[in-house]
Amino acid sequence: MTRRALSFSAIIVGSLVWAAPLPAHHSFAAEYDSTKPVKLTGAVTRVDWMNPHAYFYIDVKDAASGRVQNWAFELAAPSVLQRQGWTRSTLKVGDVITVDGTRAKDGGNHGNARSVINAATGKKYGAGSSEGQPGEPTPQ
Amino acid sequence: MECEACPQRPPSAPTPRWPDGHPLLSAPPGQIGYWDSGTGSLTGKRGNNLPTNMETSEVPFQPWAKALYEERQRTQSKNDPHARCAAPGGPRQFHTPFGLLIYELPEAKRVLILSGGGVRTWRVVYLDGRSHPQGDALNPGFLGHSVGHWEGDTLVIDTIGFNEKFWFVRAGFPHTEALHLTERISRPDFNTLKYEATVDDPRAYTRPWSGGWLINWHPGEDFEEYFCTDNNRDAEHLVGR
Repeated sequence: MTRRALSFSAIIVGSLVWAAPLPAHHSFAAEYDSTKPVKLTGAVTRVDWMNPHAYFYIDVKDAASGRVQNWAFELAAPSVLQRQGWTRSTLKVGDVITVDGTRAKDGGNHGNARSVINAATGKKYGAGSSEGQPGEPTPQ
Repeated sequence: MECEACPQRPPSAPTPRWPDGHPLLSAPPGQIGYWDSGTGSLTGKRGNNLPTNMETSEVPFQPWAKALYEERQRTQSKNDPHARCAAPGGPRQFHTPFGLLIYELPEAKRVLILSGGGVRTWRVVYLDGRSHPQGDALNPGFLGHSVGHWEGDTLVIDTIGFNEKFWFVRAGFPHTEALHLTERISRPDFNTLKYEATVDDPRAYTRPWSGGWLINWHPGEDFEEYFCTDNNRDAEHLVGR
């Protein structure tokens, strides 16, 4: 494209703020059960700062049995998380966090995170969940 | 250009234009931005959908196509190939999340439609007057073979040659290799892309039908690298109902 050859009637664009939805590349309802909220606290064992979703893993100790289970939680894509104040080092291995989210339908130790609180700092981060966003299949 | 039958929109600067007066569908020189794709549907009137859209109940499905559509709804789109990182053909490219860019290359007589999300798809639309390949020379693919031309302020794209390995809209309306798609793209003001598609697939629908939606301009940013195939862990967990 030869930029010098172009002329335009529009020069300045106002800084419009759109209520941009949080997009996803898959159906939320096919993977997660909105009737099964989950809230867990544990230490981070792994962080995947990758597309199409960032993931983190935490070791969660069952208070009654003392047994430790590893859970995986899906976050939004890194670019979406960055707009909500995250960086790739927001979660580090060893951080103790509390995650609020929705459990996977397949019953595994897997969920979609809505928010994460860092126990050491008390800071809360939205997780860019696509739950309830436009484009989701209509529940029937 | 006025946008006829558009939803209420915030004030915007006028449509940017090339020297010959036809609309520029990308960022003007010195600016950056992209089309904030991710939502929109060929049916229904909510949100940025066109108020002229039909309701899903009015889509002229062939019986098998209606049954398949209803099955896809009942199972909550668990089998959507897009969730397995299939390339988004036709309208699906215009509501694939994570941004859309449309670059016209006048010297090359073609338009490139670039997806920021999915598998980083880029579609070529030939504006050099060529015809579609015929017969066995037409190889069905995810994006098909697209030729286009300008009708006033509207870029009209004619596409055939689709395979059946993807859902052409997120809603899961079925299609066959007979799909013939006519897309009409315009920029009624700086911040608005108007997308319309006419679906002509006599094997799946009893007559051609149309719909569309508006897409907002996202100024001041470029989209970031995104490859669905990088770490896609969803497929194994998509169980549906």
